[in-house]
Amino acid sequence: MTNHWIDLQHTDCALIMGGNPAENHPISFRWLTKAKEKGGKIISVDPRFTRTSSQADLYAPLRSGSDIAFVGGMINYILENKLYHEEYVKNYTNAALIVNDTYSFDDGIFGGYDEKTRSYDKTLWGFKKDENDKYVRDNTLQDPNCVFQLMKKHFSRYDIDTVVEVTGTPKDAYVKVIEMFAETGKPGKAGTIMYAMGTTQHTVGSQNVRAFGILQLLLGNIGLQGGGINAMRGESNVQGSTDFGLLYNNVTGYMETPTSTPEEATYKGFLEKVTPKAGYWTNKPKFYTSMLKAYYGNSATATNEFGYQYMPKLTPKKDYSHMRVFDSMYKGEIEGLFMFGTNPVVGGPNAGKEKEALSKLKWMVAIDLWETESSAFWQKEAGANPAEIDTEVFFLPACSSFEKEGSVSNSGRWMQYRWQAIAPKGKSKGDLEIIHMLALRQKELYKNSSHPAAAAVKALDWNYGHGEHPDIDLVCREINGYDTKTKTQIAGFKDLLDDGSTCSGNWIYCGFYPEEGKNHSKRRDNKDTGMGNYLNWSFAWPANRRILGNRASATPDGKPWSKDRVGIQWDAAQNLWVGNDVPDFTKDRAPKDEGGLSAFFMLPTGLGGLFGVMNEGPFPEHYEPYESPVTNAFSSVQLNPATKFGVEEFMTQGSAKDYPIIATTYRVSEHWQAGAMTRNLPWLSELVAYMFVEISEELAKEKGIKNKDKVVITSARGNIEAYAMITKRFKPFKIQGKVVHQVGMPWHFGYKGIATGGSANHLTPHIGDANTNIPEYKAFLCDVRRA
Amino acid sequence: MAKEYIKYVDVTKCDGCRACMVACKNWNDLPAEPEEFQGSLQSHAKVTANTWNVLNFIEHENSKGDLEYLFRHSSCFHCTDAACEKVCPEDAISYTDFGSVVINNDKCVGCGYCVQNCPFDVISLATYKDKNGKEYRKAQKCTMCTDRLEEGMQPACVVTCHPGAMQFGNKEDMLTLAEKRLSEIKEKFPNANIYNPAGVGGTHTIYVLAEKPSVYGLPEKPKVPTSAVIWKDYAQPIGKLMLGATTMAVMAGFVSNKLFNKGGHDHGQDEEGGDSDE
Amino acid sequence: MDFTRRQFLKLSGATAATLAVIELGFDDKKAKASAKDFKISQLKPTPTICPYCGVGCGILVYSDGKDVVYTEGDPDNPINEGTLCSKGTTVRQVYTSDKRVETPLYRAPGSAKWEVVDWDWAMNRISEKMKDTRDRTFIQKENGITVNKVESIACMGGAALDNEEVYLLSKLMRAGLGLTYIEHQARI
Repeated sequence: MTNHWIDLQHTDCALIMGGNPAENHPISFRWLTKAKEKGGKIISVDPRFTRTSSQADLYAPLRSGSDIAFVGGMINYILENKLYHEEYVKNYTNAALIVNDTYSFDDGIFGGYDEKTRSYDKTLWGFKKDENDKYVRDNTLQDPNCVFQLMKKHFSRYDIDTVVEVTGTPKDAYVKVIEMFAETGKPGKAGTIMYAMGTTQHTVGSQNVRAFGILQLLLGNIGLQGGGINAMRGESNVQGSTDFGLLYNNVTGYMETPTSTPEEATYKGFLEKVTPKAGYWTNKPKFYTSMLKAYYGNSATATNEFGYQYMPKLTPKKDYSHMRVFDSMYKGEIEGLFMFGTNPVVGGPNAGKEKEALSKLKWMVAIDLWETESSAFWQKEAGANPAEIDTEVFFLPACSSFEKEGSVSNSGRWMQYRWQAIAPKGKSKGDLEIIHMLALRQKELYKNSSHPAAAAVKALDWNYGHGEHPDIDLVCREINGYDTKTKTQIAGFKDLLDDGSTCSGNWIYCGFYPEEGKNHSKRRDNKDTGMGNYLNWSFAWPANRRILGNRASATPDGKPWSKDRVGIQWDAAQNLWVGNDVPDFTKDRAPKDEGGLSAFFMLPTGLGGLFGVMNEGPFPEHYEPYESPVTNAFSSVQLNPATKFGVEEFMTQGSAKDYPIIATTYRVSEHWQAGAMTRNLPWLSELVAYMFVEISEELAKEKGIKNKDKVVITSARGNIEAYAMITKRFKPFKIQGKVVHQVGMPWHFGYKGIATGGSANHLTPHIGDANTNIPEYKAFLCDVRRA
Repeated sequence: MAKEYIKYVDVTKCDGCRACMVACKNWNDLPAEPEEFQGSLQSHAKVTANTWNVLNFIEHENSKGDLEYLFRHSSCFHCTDAACEKVCPEDAISYTDFGSVVINNDKCVGCGYCVQNCPFDVISLATYKDKNGKEYRKAQKCTMCTDRLEEGMQPACVVTCHPGAMQFGNKEDMLTLAEKRLSEIKEKFPNANIYNPAGVGGTHTIYVLAEKPSVYGLPEKPKVPTSAVIWKDYAQPIGKLMLGATTMAVMAGFVSNKLFNKGGHDHGQDEEGGDSDE
Repeated sequence: MDFTRRQFLKLSGATAATLAVIELGFDDKKAKASAKDFKISQLKPTPTICPYCGVGCGILVYSDGKDVVYTEGDPDNPINEGTLCSKGTTVRQVYTSDKRVETPLYRAPGSAKWEVVDWDWAMNRISEKMKDTRDRTFIQKENGITVNKVESIACMGGAALDNEEVYLLSKLMRAGLGLTYIEHQARI
């Protein structure tokens, strides 16, 4: 989230698309209800009328997988009718920059495409610079090669009639959506976009988000109280776990994992490669070296490249993401697997096949509160023959969040502490202790080893007190960082250095523990400091800022766009940015100073990216899902040309002939993710006790299905049983003249726990987004029949 | 003497999360009791002895043909003239100073009159076993968390309600709130109304409904059955005087069936009552 | 812990509850249920954050030391102000559910059942497995460049763990053990 939950109350209009917060983030509606009381509007765009739609002022359906067409049409309409926020666009976005004439686009393909590798030469999409290395601008926005004109041209193909033929949205509802949301483009107004996995879980997921970004920049909504792009995170600490580098491609604080390219053979070469020439990331060497110091302590010195060589290097261009883990496992390349509270046999794409891959492991360690479908993949109940599975499986009982202490970071980046309320149940233990026990044993086993595999283990700095229970306070201090000589805490990341004199486990969190005895995640002062930002409650990264990009909440000369919605503003008398938030800007850089308009200073241009380089192009372009009942109306390119394929056995693809119905998956208020945390609890199990599939009255009639019937849903991956829930909340779509049906299913169910049922992910495809490789759970093909 | 309070339910703000259902079970230590698949997201057909409030899910097409997805927190209404209180032969049901209607489980003999006579069908019998394995029954329903009220705390369901669809406060304030809300939503919901039926003397759970009561499965004009009034005010006192309380309790089933003509069908519906949920 | 008595008094959520004591004449407390029967009397609540979605609602946990007897929204947390959804309201059963696994378990190759084992045995055996796999499959160089990595062990999950835990997890798995297959729920 650029903003935070409480801030939703300040919005003039919330466009909720690709998310269903009333069901999956219910407390958001406490704040949206307040916004409504003040005259704010809510728009719900969803294939199905949801509990969120029930609270909306306006509902518009769209076919799953047509988001770029939908938002592209909004962008086009806003440009054509000059509904954008002109002053914001000119000053804070890259609209005026001139793009090199190597950029081109034709019939769904940008210039520089290599079909063999399914990738682009992205260097063709650069900005023009002058002889002084300054970006060339056309402030009139008229140059045919400026971003604004190229964008206008690109989206001109997304006219309303074409769009609604693709999305299936009734035209009048579509126009109403655009007009209602475009109102927020007026200076002083603020609109927010709230999205979740309905946006990201597509082969074009990242570009779906990009399209939101373009829309919000055009309307001048980023950086404002009540505005922003708000990704609603589905797990209590999925924000934190991402911040701390639990994805293969990032170490902590969103910095690169090294690869074995020749330039990265040395730390110096690595830093040169990953550090941009302009923007805030020029400080990266300070953050990276401080991280290495936190990792390797005294074993990290200037003479050994601060331990850089201990770090594992990825094979260049090799993908290590979730689906590729299972590809490798299936091929027998992975021997051991740790699963910390995760359940891919229910939650993974093509889950039946992922379950099969698990049986090729030599050993598995499941750390969980519950026996999950994944930790029990070898059981008869799972359809397996235990005698044929040689995997050694360890189950380590973890305790719950209130049986231990520690902090979590919510969607709004607020790092809040959880205290221990009771001792761990039975013999269960906190994950901190389990990880610590593993580390101590590895260090012990490698203590006297000279094997190359011993080096990093021995160098790893692991001093968290005595015994098997680590001192969490020591971990907190290290995350924040301290002076390696004096051990005094570092006040903030601006004080980190690249000479090894400071350490910091995660630079974006630096500042949460700025001095002795002050762990700000424990702060509980709930007096509002202004505009609902509660600056003394917990800590928000970075630097306790509550709204990212808040320089843009003020006009170019530093006055608030609206007096009712003051983020920060320039106080000339004090020569400071002041207001209701911690400035996301150099605090004494005046509007007239060099860089005084660089609201997006993390980027080399300092400007919001209407034009932004992604794997499949600098502008979002509509492509159909991997499985779609229709051909692409915008070009002859059916599938995202940069989406990658994995192991063939996982890649089954159904055709519309065999599977004519679009299917999507989602969650319900009463269950959570792969279900272990809710299907094992009696009170939630009774609320949604059965797997169901939502079917429109029209499709039910066609198929002879009655409400409460048992039905079978089939896809190219398999089939599952569910109860039919016949509903008025799903309606058939009219796409390019033909009727297309869609059904939807919750994906929480499995065979373990109190509430059991078929796993929807036995049906979902094993293909993902071209940038993130997030699986395309949200649009695939199926058929439905009575059981 | 405490003042009279009302639980105010504005269904138009409810987003159907069902925290109220769990909050009730959590505070009152009630067990889960899954029912068969209902064909919608609704978990239970109606409130039961172990599930004191149920969220109703309703898909309704309004007169303009627009789809409305309606939710209603359904639980005891805590009537001012409570049929259950009138028909209880054991005086196990009483009014509290807060306006809530509560069942004294020590007095309840499980006869079920209250269940049969409730105009809203929100009381049920729970079956328990004593330590000798003998089964016995007790009437159960929402208590309005009277134990919490006595400690200065609001009902558990109200406290947890995040959109503020439920509020608890003194009677006049809540009625004013309801009137104000009604005027705000009239444009969007022309059929909106306040549900605080006079036939039972008004209730201590009142609703702002977006559509007619019948759309929510509520009787349009519920009232205390005349028979219940006769029983409470005439038959029971005389009977007790003449026959003694124990004998009266034995007569329970007989009297109940004859006098009230109950088979669980007539829930005190007025003759001209219009639509009902049955 | 910065947790005051004032907050305890406000436990019923909505500041209105505290006000109620003063404003609504609840002072007489001629309770039918005596204070000792009141289920949370004399219990000190512990503040926590909901383990479910990413909103980060505050919850108060009432424990008697042996069991969790009640949970309710934390009225002082400005995000939820004492309210919760159905999941957050059920947090109590995360502790009380009889489905919790309370001891380490082991499943031998080819076996059809779990065996109860003790922590030391399990941790030692896991550690030996890890070392054995690492030592056999460790990649020191790739294209002549030092890569120090292990591509035969994967670590998945962690979105439900605390920040301090995921920090140590990524530190151990990546910087210590050299794993490249490190993934979690943010991807799926």
